[in-house]
Amino acid sequence: MRFRFCGDLDCPDWVLAEISTLAKISSVKMKLLCAQVLKDLLGDDIDYDKVTKLTADAKFESGDIKASVAVLSFIFSSAAKHDVDSESLSSELQQLGLPKEHTTGLCKSYEDKHSALQGKLRETSLRLGRLEAVSWRIDYTLSSSELKEVNEPLIQLKLQAQGAESGSTETTVVSVSANKFRVLLAELKQAQARMNALQ
Amino acid sequence: MLLVLSEEHKEHLAFLPQVDAAVGEFGRIALEFLRRGTNPKIYEGAARKLCVPVEMVQHGVEGLMFLMTESSKHMISEVDFLDSVLVLGFGEELNQTLLQLYLQHHSQIRSILSQLPSNLPAYHNLEWRLDVQLASRAVRQQVVPMLTLRLLLTGGGNGGNDRSGRVLQTDPSTLLHLISTLEAALAAMKTSHARRIFRNIK
Repeated sequence: MRFRFCGDLDCPDWVLAEISTLAKISSVKMKLLCAQVLKDLLGDDIDYDKVTKLTADAKFESGDIKASVAVLSFIFSSAAKHDVDSESLSSELQQLGLPKEHTTGLCKSYEDKHSALQGKLRETSLRLGRLEAVSWRIDYTLSSSELKEVNEPLIQLKLQAQGAESGSTETTVVSVSANKFRVLLAELKQAQARMNALQ
Repeated sequence: MLLVLSEEHKEHLAFLPQVDAAVGEFGRIALEFLRRGTNPKIYEGAARKLCVPVEMVQHGVEGLMFLMTESSKHMISEVDFLDSVLVLGFGEELNQTLLQLYLQHHSQIRSILSQLPSNLPAYHNLEWRLDVQLASRAVRQQVVPMLTLRLLLTGGGNGGNDRSGRVLQTDPSTLLHLISTLEAALAAMKTSHARRIFRNIK
């Protein structure tokens, strides 16, 4: 059985198993649980006390609580990843055995936060060496130990970027002469023109 | 199988009958020792309360801990545990307390012990992105698809919490080759040779 929200692959066995666990809580509590899981996926902290209270009626053990949070996380992030609309998600979840009221609650929450989720996932996509800050300074060299009258402008560029392998901020300082800087600027303007053509 | 306790070990454990009531407490201290290391203040406090030298308390706790880890390591049954402890000449009640301590905690102890040996870096997560290079400074009008991967690994000899990452780049044909090699590796698990070996491991 191929499911769109799993990326046209089979649904993992553990998801099937935990959907039956999800069916044990009432649909109102299910909607509140979805709201908590969505908060977690969008970057805010999840409030575990609230989650425990929500699942206390159905007498979930800690393993069940973790499993239901995990399966909801999977459904939301996977559906957002493959850009599934909420009607298809609703029909596929009902095929897997999630009761109708639970499915409607889940899909309503999904629809509300669909674009926010996709934005967050886009932000956390792999990017190496992200540029964080640029600062510059122009100096004018008057004289040096080699030559008495130098009289040349010099630009110092400080680039702060995330290291490609380490992920922590690395600072690079470069000093560029006027001619070299003109070449750099011309090349970067050409690259910018091509990028604008793609937008 | 029976545990054989050395003379020194028996001496250390001989301290235990003197503190009959507090054996449960000592058991707890011993298990905390396993999880977090020794805390000399606890030994001093206990020694003061019982009016015995600190080394006796320390040896008693360490002896108890060693007994627990050896029993958990070999996964000995209840009967064997009782027989091994009989050698120490403790009372029936004390033997039963020790047995309860062992039964309650042996799976935890085994999981702690299994994390001890250093291991090779293991797979933790794989992030990827698919890009298409359209132009570079030297050449315009290109179409070069590239896949960038970040492989996150745990372990590597420093315990399970060390994360390290490797950044890799590949083109689509190498990626296909990679996929087919990995699928062949998975298929090797299903050959009759491998199945025969799995059947014989209990």
